[in-house]
Amino acid sequence: MPDMIEKRWNWAVWLGFLLALGAMLCNVVLLVNLPGQRAIPWLSVLLAVVALILVARGLQGAFGQPRVYRGKFLSSILSLVSLLLAGVAIFTFFHARALPTSGAAPQVGQKVPDFTLTDTTGQPVSLDRLFVPAADDSQGVPPRAVLLIFYRGYW
Amino acid sequence: MTISVDPPKVSRDLSKKAGYTFSILSDPNAEVIRRYNLLHVGGGPDGHDIARPAEFLVDSSRMVHWVNFTEDVRVRPRADEMLAAAKGLR
Repeated sequence: MPDMIEKRWNWAVWLGFLLALGAMLCNVVLLVNLPGQRAIPWLSVLLAVVALILVARGLQGAFGQPRVYRGKFLSSILSLVSLLLAGVAIFTFFHARALPTSGAAPQVGQKVPDFTLTDTTGQPVSLDRLFVPAADDSQGVPPRAVLLIFYRGYW
Repeated sequence: MTISVDPPKVSRDLSKKAGYTFSILSDPNAEVIRRYNLLHVGGGPDGHDIARPAEFLVDSSRMVHWVNFTEDVRVRPRADEMLAAAKGLR
C-alpha cells in the first residue's frame, strides 16, 4: 500500500537553500575585512553554484518522484528564494570584479605624478609640498612616506 | 590621504561622521585619477567616471614602495597590511 510508505525528507532543497544563504552571507563577511578575504568572493560564487545544482536536484525529486519526496509546495518556495539569493550572489561577484586593469597605473619602483587637489576645508594640498619642511616648523617634521588611497567615492 | 571624485562637502560630512583624521582630497573631474591611469569609465552609480580602488605608498621622491590593486571592490587592504608596508620602508 503506497500510503503506508513514509515520504522522504527533501534534503537537497534544504541544503541548497542553506548554501544560497551562505553565498549571500559572504557579502556580509566581506564587510568585516578579515585576513585572507580574497578567497571569500570565490567561496560565495562556489556556494551559489552548488546551491543551484542541489535545488535543481531537489525539485526533480519533489516533482519527478512525488511519491518518494514530500513537500512539493515548500520545495517550490525554498527553490525560488534560493534561486534569488544565488542569482544575486553570482551577479554581485561579476559586478564587483568588473574593474579596469591596473597595468598602466604606477607600479613599485616607478614615480607617481605630482598633483594638487582641494581637501575638505577647501585648502589646496600638493603631494610634493607635503614632504617639504615648513619654514616656521608649524607643521612639524614632514612625513617619510605618504599612503595614497584612491576610492570609488559616492559616500 | 584619500582621493575620490566626491566633492569636498560630501567628504567633510563623511570625515566628521566617521571621525577620520587623514586628509580627504576631492578630484571631481577625475583629472588626477586619469593621470594615474585609475579611471573606471562609467563606474559610478549614475554612470559617472570614478576611480578604481588603488593604494600607493610613496616616498618623498614620489617613488612607489608598495602598491595594491584589488580585483574585487569588496576586497580592500586591511589597515595592518598598509601599516606593515609603511614599517617596511625603514
